[in-house]
Amino acid sequence: MSARRWTTARAPGLSALDGRIVRPVLGRPTRGWWLAVAGSGALTLVMLAGIAWTFAEGIGVWGNNTSVVWGFGIANYVWWIGIGNAGTLISSMLLLTRQRWRASINRFAESMTLFAAAIAGVFPIIHMGRPMFWYWLAPYPNTMSLWPQWRSPLVWDFWAILSYILFSLIFWYVGLLPDLAVLRDRARGLRIRQVYGALALGWLGSARQWRLHGKLHRTLAMLAVPLVCSVHSIVGLDFAASLMPGWAETIFPPYFVVGAMFSGFCVVIVLAAVIRRALGLQSVITDAHFDVMARIVLAAALIMGAAYASEWFAAWYGGDPAEARFLRFIFLGPYQPLYVAMLALNVGLPQLLWLPRVRRDVGAVVLIALLVNVGMWLERILIILETLSHDYLPSSWRLFRPTLTDGAILVGSLGLFALLFLILSRVAPLVSIHETGELVVTEAAA
Amino acid sequence: MAQLFGPGADVVARIVLVALVVTPFLIVGSLYVWAGSPYHTRAGETVAQPILFSHAHHVGELGLDCRFCHASVETGRFAGMPATEVCMTCHSQIWTNAPMLAPIRESLAKDQPIQWVRVNNLPDYVYFDHSVHVAKGVPCEACHGRVADMPLMRQAAPLTMGWCLDCHRNPGPNLRPREAEFDTRWTGVGDPAKRAAALMAAYHVSTAGLTDCATCHR
Amino acid sequence: MSPTFTVTRGPRRGAPLDRRRALKLLAAGAATALASCGPPREAIVPYARVGDGEDLAPGAIRRYATTLTLAGYGRGVVGRVVDGRPIKLEGNPAHPASLGGSDVFSEAAILDLYDPWRAKAAAGPTGVAAWLDFAEALTARLAGHAADRGAGLRLLTGRVTGPTQLRLIKAIQARFPAMVWARYEPLHDDAERQGTRLAYGRPLTPRPRFAEADVILCLGADPLGPGPDQVAWARAVMARRRGGAAMSRLYVAEPGLSLTGAAADHRLPAGPLVMQALGLEVARRLGAPAQPGETTPRALAFAEAVAADLVAHKGRAVVLAGAGQPAQMHALAAWINQTVAAPVDVIDAIDPNPDDHAESLARLTRDLQAGAVTSLVVLDANPVHDAPEGDAIAAAIGRLPFSADLGLYKDETAAACRWGAPLSHPLEGWSDAVGPDGTPSLAQPLIRPLYDSRTAEQALALMAGEPDAAARDLVRATWRPGAAGDFEAEWRQALIAGVLRRGGPAPTAPPAARWVEPTPITRSPLILALSPHPSLWDGRYAANAWLQECPDPLTKEVWGQSLRLSPSDARTLGLGHGDRARLGFGSRTIEANVRVTPDQALGVASLPLGGGRARAGPIGSGLGGNPARLRGPGLAWSLEGLHIERLGAGRDGLATQADHRLDGDTGELLPTMSLAALAAGARPGADRPPPSLLTTPPRGEHAWAMVIDAAACIGCNACVVACQAENNVPVVGPDEIAVGRDMHWLRVDRYDPGPDDDPNAGFLPVPCMQCEQAPCEPVCPVEASVHDSEGLNDQVYNRCVGTRFCQANCPYKVRRFNFRDYTAGAPWRDLDVTALKAQRNPEVSVRGRGVMEKCTYCVQRISAARAESARDGRPIADGAVKTACQTACPSEAISFGDLEDDASRVAGLRRDPRHYVLLNELGTRPRTTYLARVRNPNPALRKPA
Repeated sequence: MSARRWTTARAPGLSALDGRIVRPVLGRPTRGWWLAVAGSGALTLVMLAGIAWTFAEGIGVWGNNTSVVWGFGIANYVWWIGIGNAGTLISSMLLLTRQRWRASINRFAESMTLFAAAIAGVFPIIHMGRPMFWYWLAPYPNTMSLWPQWRSPLVWDFWAILSYILFSLIFWYVGLLPDLAVLRDRARGLRIRQVYGALALGWLGSARQWRLHGKLHRTLAMLAVPLVCSVHSIVGLDFAASLMPGWAETIFPPYFVVGAMFSGFCVVIVLAAVIRRALGLQSVITDAHFDVMARIVLAAALIMGAAYASEWFAAWYGGDPAEARFLRFIFLGPYQPLYVAMLALNVGLPQLLWLPRVRRDVGAVVLIALLVNVGMWLERILIILETLSHDYLPSSWRLFRPTLTDGAILVGSLGLFALLFLILSRVAPLVSIHETGELVVTEAAA
Repeated sequence: MAQLFGPGADVVARIVLVALVVTPFLIVGSLYVWAGSPYHTRAGETVAQPILFSHAHHVGELGLDCRFCHASVETGRFAGMPATEVCMTCHSQIWTNAPMLAPIRESLAKDQPIQWVRVNNLPDYVYFDHSVHVAKGVPCEACHGRVADMPLMRQAAPLTMGWCLDCHRNPGPNLRPREAEFDTRWTGVGDPAKRAAALMAAYHVSTAGLTDCATCHR
Repeated sequence: MSPTFTVTRGPRRGAPLDRRRALKLLAAGAATALASCGPPREAIVPYARVGDGEDLAPGAIRRYATTLTLAGYGRGVVGRVVDGRPIKLEGNPAHPASLGGSDVFSEAAILDLYDPWRAKAAAGPTGVAAWLDFAEALTARLAGHAADRGAGLRLLTGRVTGPTQLRLIKAIQARFPAMVWARYEPLHDDAERQGTRLAYGRPLTPRPRFAEADVILCLGADPLGPGPDQVAWARAVMARRRGGAAMSRLYVAEPGLSLTGAAADHRLPAGPLVMQALGLEVARRLGAPAQPGETTPRALAFAEAVAADLVAHKGRAVVLAGAGQPAQMHALAAWINQTVAAPVDVIDAIDPNPDDHAESLARLTRDLQAGAVTSLVVLDANPVHDAPEGDAIAAAIGRLPFSADLGLYKDETAAACRWGAPLSHPLEGWSDAVGPDGTPSLAQPLIRPLYDSRTAEQALALMAGEPDAAARDLVRATWRPGAAGDFEAEWRQALIAGVLRRGGPAPTAPPAARWVEPTPITRSPLILALSPHPSLWDGRYAANAWLQECPDPLTKEVWGQSLRLSPSDARTLGLGHGDRARLGFGSRTIEANVRVTPDQALGVASLPLGGGRARAGPIGSGLGGNPARLRGPGLAWSLEGLHIERLGAGRDGLATQADHRLDGDTGELLPTMSLAALAAGARPGADRPPPSLLTTPPRGEHAWAMVIDAAACIGCNACVVACQAENNVPVVGPDEIAVGRDMHWLRVDRYDPGPDDDPNAGFLPVPCMQCEQAPCEPVCPVEASVHDSEGLNDQVYNRCVGTRFCQANCPYKVRRFNFRDYTAGAPWRDLDVTALKAQRNPEVSVRGRGVMEKCTYCVQRISAARAESARDGRPIADGAVKTACQTACPSEAISFGDLEDDASRVAGLRRDPRHYVLLNELGTRPRTTYLARVRNPNPALRKPA
């Protein structure tokens, strides 16, 4: 693929490109930006209201019941952490595999990771009955001489998410350094320049700094890949470490990692489309980018299909009556429509991407990407509902009905995600200045 | 281009970087110290009571037995506080008109109980049973300190869960022979280690279940 | 647990200033939030006077024997009292109607005592008044009746058995010779009275001796069902239903499934037609001059087999006719029992009132409407709710110059009356009562009356002309005369034991039972069969939240009841499961949900009485329609020509369990073995744990375990309510139930292992399994769910952060989560809950919102036993620790003990051939295990139940 061009022939000159990327940060905010902030801000308030109501009244305001003790809270958590997984994974893997086209997408992919992971981190806390004691999951010296219960996947989660967020922050920051320097030099007004200056840690762009920077970036990337895999594997273990039908499956960890990449890439596609339009970066975020990302999505969809199939096979081949009953339930039970929709969106729909025509059509790719994320959320919620609604004793078979609060918090979290991006767009370049620059120069030379 | 930062900038930067790492630990650490300190546990804090009752005088000087007032300490979960009549067993004879004892006389006259202020307080979710501890050779002093030397009552121990567990993991050193449990002047004789082992055996104390959660929490 | 920062602390000495300042600086920031002031200092309030010595030991549990009544019959209970507060009631082993067991009614009575909605003061024409004002008004009114010798005066009561009350009523009648004492129970035994009158010439009460019965035939009778005899009879019957050579055989023919039907070896769904045909057929084969009636082949085969069995077991076979059956059926039962020399004691009716209930009520209603009444005193009865013409009665009462209602609550009748005066709760006063078998017992107060109330005896004494008699003296005055020797000694002994050692009515030698040819009945349109409400009885317990939320044993419905229809009837009527329907006769109609159940007899719709209370406080009011309104005059049990009209698809009745069917592999959850198979060495399934890589936790001093005998369980729910009372288990209310939440630590699952036409329903009480390899433990992030050295699976409420992972990973789903603040929330929201707090068990934490809770094997009782053994140096004996559910169980289906002690009862039961482990294949190694159900089918009957 290295033969392909990742910039359009009539790419603007370096300085022009820089301008397009830098202006939104240092220039005055546009009306569109304000409108977007208003919209996403409103949604964020909805989420906060939902959380406040939950804190005031208790988990009782959610749809959870005696048998289905988990619901939206955990599903949203798994979904967001999944999205969060992709960014770092993408940009680090592409970096290691020397994919030049990453230059145009890595920055907002990494930012996406940061925000999604942060939002995901909120859910395990608000889903607790007594959230004020969330820190009991952390090992800290205390007068009760008590420690967390290390065998619990939730404790592993705690560490996984914490370390992942910290790491992503560092990885993102390192990648950002040279751009901060650019902003420092472009910005007017002493205060701003001092702020950017401090954040740029005295970056001068000397050859030595570039060499060290590159080395550090690649090293971090190497650390990132296993870390990313571990994070979502552990999320998978939250279920796999149980003995409930439909949960206790060894395939969960890898299947969760792939699922994460799947949904993550789809979100990247959407972001790419939005940013390309907003910043007018058609020159560096080209249709070729969407094409190649679509291929990856297609591949992931196939793996997901295989994963589902293996679940069914295991249930049938294992011969465990509980598993068999569970299988009957997901296909014939009251959740059947949701399950079918999930399969259609996650496995069926992406098959369209076999057609080059569809892959080349940005609109289509974006639509598919959006729908896949709906499908992925359905998958997350169904993993929880189906097992808990229909486990071993018929006496405890109960269905789950979500409440308004459930919906408010879910929808609101999307608003928060958007809001964070909008704010970032005023603080740091959403597309890497130095890397796209490098790309343009090299491809111009070629 | 004008300089953005002065010469000290690097130092500041380095300090900030270090602080980023150190501060969280500092905060947690200091909170831990604070939580265990008397400032938080209220250990050693003397409490104002409706009547200036002196254990030092009644127990230390007059040598009253703990059980004279705290009658149910051997039979019930709670040691029990003396009914006003119990105070009056003596004070109907001596200090009958002492102004200090006015509240007692009033209580009996009006048949209104005296409202003492609790000094050793455990959370509601802790189910502590005096009788069991007494039966197993734990002396009052182990938790309540040298009451005989307290003019006004104060909480002697931190009463944190960690403190409870220290003894529940290794009760031996705190145990006493039956006759010495209520002795406020007792000082162990002989080798403490030997004594501990002997008493553990004598009282059939096994630490197996002592750290079960249900031992104290239900 | 949350500290309040409002209180400032006294002067602090001791802590050196410099360190404090240092700490302040150190703990700046975060610490300032926690601030320097801790929670407020508690007060310790000792007694002023010593009183009677050890009794003052704070926190000590004391027990007192007393008596509660159900439908007027006395049942002995023992109250546990802490610091002057009764907190729990248990059966009195010395009382023949309890034998140490209890039922939902006596378990829940403690809640009524503290019910915030109780009548707290008298209310007269001028509003709230003191009891004395009422006494004055009543006395004045009665003085007026001296003139007409009480002709215009009526006293209305329920069934009265208490000797003191009867003595006082006699006194009143002596004072007002023309007064009429009306007496009725909505759930009456008129049929039995009339039936025995037909057979013997005078009303008698047959008392079966189940211990001697090898064969039992129930014609619509429900000896295991709710009622004054439930506990004693369940004990006697189920003692012989656990397999072994002595196992009895139980035939049940009934319109709708009952608890007895669920325990039967052979059950025949039978409407009146089939029922009579069956009875006649059996009688005919026993030599009666009976004409064989028209019947179904299945009923015929049933009759054949039963008759043969009855003959084969002459002298050891019993036939019972249900309260809902016609008098002739009772006469027929009497005749059969005599023919097969059944082990039945026939005693004179305990209830001395000569009138039949229906007749007594009808006459009162007539007199009221005719204006023959000028004064009415209603004592602990509620005709406005439970009489068929309740509304008419209410209207008539409204026209009376004087009317008074004395009761525990300001109920419908109180609202209709001019005066309402509060009666004391049975636990608040002195009284006495006679058990259904004739055993007299005393009731003593466990607590001073909480409000300005009097006992029923005092109220009657007032009418008899003794205005201010002390309840205790009234009772003593009753018993002193008959004293054999030293009365004081007998009195003291009676108070300790709870029963008086004075023989009740001895079994009379009845005259030969006449053969009564039943009037043939014709095939009739749809029939409505009414039955007692399993937890509200006739509706009088509707204000009790525990009972409202106590699931119907068979449908698992709570907070309301549905009309039960057979599938084919539902089809012909065009009704579906969960539909809303209007049912009734002509203008008398109510609305109800429809429940389609295969075990319902063709042509009969069943509905329990007790619903539709209008004034039962925020808990019991406005839940469904009032079936009592459908009964014609005569308090009929079953009515012909029911009309049902579909109103549309309603919400399915609120239930704690939706799926009952067991098919395929789920069958092994409730294995049912035939006696023959058991004898042949069959086993219900593996009870050895599968191999595991996990290390077994080390065993401590004891290894607590529970074995539940599914064969002995009658599904009565006594254990459920007992657990609720013992462990401060909250009520969640209908709204929460509707979204699938409940809090019962112990639930009784109902399963139908059989085919649709013969579900063979069975019960499985499910407390926490206390698994040795508990799935809940490794998943808890904060070690709130931990294993203890004695095998308990502890739940540490104060450590729980509410991730709910434990319940998600519990295959038995026995954990319960506080989704809301259930301690103070709905349905008590509008009420002052301070009174309720007094009921709570101080030895058990009251769980807050956001915390997971579950059965602990009553760990507080284990600790108590441990403390005792520590004090007196003796090891804990087998049976020294009894869990609340175990104590309550009328049929002794629950056993609890120490597996380390090989001689213990549980250790023995674990070796029983019927022993099995729920979901054994999961390798959770539960400490709670089960004994399989046994059936003793008659080989002669082709399709064994």
